Amino acid sequence: MKAKAKKTTLEGAAKWTFAVCAAFSVFAVFAIVFFILYRSIPAFQKIGVFEFLFGETWAPHWEDKVLEGKTEYASIFGVSNIVQTSLIVTAGAAVLGGLIGVFTAVFTAYYCPKKLKGFFEQTVNLLSGIPSIIVGFFGVTVLVPIVEKLSPQGEGMGMLSAVLVLAIMITPTIASLSKNSLEAVPKEYLEGALGLGATKDQAVFSVLLPAAKSGIFSSLILGIGRAVGETMAVSFVIGGASGKAPDSFFKPVGSLTTTIAGELGEASFGSVHLSALTAIGFILLLFVLAINLVLTLVKRGGNREKTGWFAKLFRRKKLKETNASGKHSYRRGGAVQTALRFVSYFFAALVVFTILYLIVDIVVKGLPYISAHFLFGATKGANVTISAGLVTTLMVVGMTLLISLPLGIGGAIYLNEYAKKDSKFVKVVRLFIDTLSGVPSIVFGLFGMIFFCQICALGYSVLAGSFTMVLIVLPTIIRSTEESLKEVPQSVREGALALGASKVRTIFTVVLPSAIPGIITSIVLSVGRIVGESAALIYTSGAVVEMPTGYLSQGSTLSVFMYYFQCEGLHMNEMYATATVLIAIVLALNILIALLDRAFKKKTNGKDKKKV
Amino acid sequence: MKEIEKFTFEQGVAIEVKGMDLYYGNFQALKKIEMTMPEKQVTAMIGPSGCGKSTLLKSLNRMNDLVEGCRVEGSIKIGGVEIYEKNTDLTMLRKNVGMVFQRPNPFAMSVYDNIAYGPRTFGIKKRAELDEIVETSLKNAAMWEELKDRLHKSALSLSGGQQQRLCIARALAVQPQILLMDEPTSALDPISTGKIEELCGELKKSVTIVMVTHNMQQAARISDKTAFFLLGEMVEMGDTERIFSMPKDKRTEDYITGRFG
Ligand SMILES: Nc1ncnc2c1ncn2[C@@H]1O[C@H](COP(=O)(O)OP(=O)(O)OP(=O)(O)O)[C@@H](O)[C@H]1O
Ligand SMILES: [Mg+2]
Repeated sequence: MKAKAKKTTLEGAAKWTFAVCAAFSVFAVFAIVFFILYRSIPAFQKIGVFEFLFGETWAPHWEDKVLEGKTEYASIFGVSNIVQTSLIVTAGAAVLGGLIGVFTAVFTAYYCPKKLKGFFEQTVNLLSGIPSIIVGFFGVTVLVPIVEKLSPQGEGMGMLSAVLVLAIMITPTIASLSKNSLEAVPKEYLEGALGLGATKDQAVFSVLLPAAKSGIFSSLILGIGRAVGETMAVSFVIGGASGKAPDSFFKPVGSLTTTIAGELGEASFGSVHLSALTAIGFILLLFVLAINLVLTLVKRGGNREKTGWFAKLFRRKKLKETNASGKHSYRRGGAVQTALRFVSYFFAALVVFTILYLIVDIVVKGLPYISAHFLFGATKGANVTISAGLVTTLMVVGMTLLISLPLGIGGAIYLNEYAKKDSKFVKVVRLFIDTLSGVPSIVFGLFGMIFFCQICALGYSVLAGSFTMVLIVLPTIIRSTEESLKEVPQSVREGALALGASKVRTIFTVVLPSAIPGIITSIVLSVGRIVGESAALIYTSGAVVEMPTGYLSQGSTLSVFMYYFQCEGLHMNEMYATATVLIAIVLALNILIALLDRAFKKKTNGKDKKKV
Repeated sequence: MKEIEKFTFEQGVAIEVKGMDLYYGNFQALKKIEMTMPEKQVTAMIGPSGCGKSTLLKSLNRMNDLVEGCRVEGSIKIGGVEIYEKNTDLTMLRKNVGMVFQRPNPFAMSVYDNIAYGPRTFGIKKRAELDEIVETSLKNAAMWEELKDRLHKSALSLSGGQQQRLCIARALAVQPQILLMDEPTSALDPISTGKIEELCGELKKSVTIVMVTHNMQQAARISDKTAFFLLGEMVEMGDTERIFSMPKDKRTEDYITGRFG
């Protein structure tokens, strides 16, 4: 009897541990919201909420004048122009990226020749994996000079460049999600339309595309979420002039994210400036929460099929009046749709061209500077090497996975193996996981700086950076682990339980091993995310070129090295070379994922065949 | 670790179900079931689809616990022990009352590890001991000759029939006293089916078998007792020969002569 009691406590303890892992995302979101709000309060108090939101001047360097009593906080801290800039840039990117993305999706789903499809999808994937700091670098070296030529004043930095860069960032998201929902449209729709004599183009653009609209709309909203929160890519090209009125597409301005990223380093501890930057983070957070809410509503509307307020937006007026004469003339139509098909060819080609240009341009210029010394040698004076970046990247990857894997896998186990399906708890946790994954990385950076660096007193350190990265990769790990747990057939669990194995033993010996493919994929994705991240790391683990001496010292990953070089402005060749290394890593990870995917698919297919 | 006890059967009675009701939420799937299953014999359960055979079978080792909203009332005793008591030791129950499912469900491991899974669960770690268990179990399942050279191949690479017999061997490896089988041959070809039927004849020398089947000939061929179910009720139970030659209940007669169901 005693042995049994011990066993039940073990089972209970395991269950609780998993539940805590699952609830971690909820704590994390609350902590982020709380600390950012908490640190914003001084700004709201000293500046005034209204003055802060609607004030037009952003002149943080005049904080001294306030202290000398020559002016007031309210007159120097206003974010109206900054918010407007963000809105305009985001809207522009949503339109441009949305158009390109949706047409690209149509091309991939319906027109891409079978042989090219795999290559094409991989290319789009690759683009979505390119770190934002590299897109920013591409923007400043390639796009800005082009925009300069278009600009009446000869000014390339500004909102137009920002829109272009953002469009590059969000197009792959929109394209691949829209493609998924296009491919989910039942085959019968196409057959039905063709059976009525419609051309394929007509069927695609007037039947299939509308059928997928709710999924496409979701992808657009996700794209917008990314655009609002995108930091480094934009900060390279927007000009870094926070507070300037966004009255021209061709003049340096500043957005919410770039203002934080640009000024966080210079704002002194305890200043109103720092608090005001945190308040900007809070505004960003509100935007993201709002976007998440819309997304949830859209999904619900999509599920309920034509009910809810959202669907009403799309519902067209029913037949105006019937054509009473009874005389109809049936004409051959479809010219418009055929034209649209060519548009989709064009945009698809544009996407491929952009990604190839980006890669080739960087690699061609960067390769000559890569040497063993550059990769592994020690930095001496102005002769900078990236060995410290490689080491730091490995350190961050290792520590982040060490923490986030058990947390994420434990959480996924709770959600899939213990929680009642669709219980309140599960719904809440899902919502918070989604929210967490939508938080912009600069906000994570801000939170990491406040919480890990200051409150936990870790200072700028590789450890603080790793902790911050845990929050960023956690949603990915939970989701993909859960996906693969779902695929483990119930019969396998029953088989083990029927032999008398306990639940915990069943999970660890039979269920989890079958979920390994998903876990490995999530690891690779997380590594990609960590390697590409810069905004969240600059103010948590620091931007330095020195070799870290341990987890408590500062250190910069390769992506942050790019940022460092950019700030110094002296190391063009090193930037190309570092970017080349980063691209090589991203490329390798993408190939790895594709290979894993294929390997695992083969295995499961084989299994299914045997069963039938 | 203390050894897991076994059930002790008295007067040849293995399982005794009395006045048992089972509900899935509000839906009553089993009504006032009364039946006794004798030790070391094969009891077959027949009846049309949806009448509750699987449900009853699963309640005998409490696999129904996995179903949300499932509730059992009345009494099920195994070896005189009430298995739905609060402090029932599920591990002990399921070790002694093994189960073979309708579709083979080998784990994604080698043949060897599949069979060793149960013993390992119960703390047997020594290689030699495991080797012996694996060999005996495979021999008992009449597939030692087929598999002895493929012990370390993945179990998923076996044929469907082999997988199912492997699952039987896996169940046998923990030396159950009772083996529950839910349509164990419905996913298999006639030859594999024949092998499993033969196996049941062998196994009942040492194990009590309760089997659900849709195949009337199968029930007639291998079982000692047959119980007929309809719409959640146990209509009639008796010696297999008697049930098939002179059923007492009109509904049983209609069913076995193929007039409905
Ligand atoms: N998990 C469940 N939740 C709710 N109802 C269930 C569940 N499992 C079975 N039922 C219902 O209980 C009844 C008996 O089901 P059961 O699976 O025991 O039938 P069966 O006799 O084994 O049928 P078959 O021959 O098709 O396997 C059916 O009406 C079924 O719909
Ligand atoms: Mg059944």
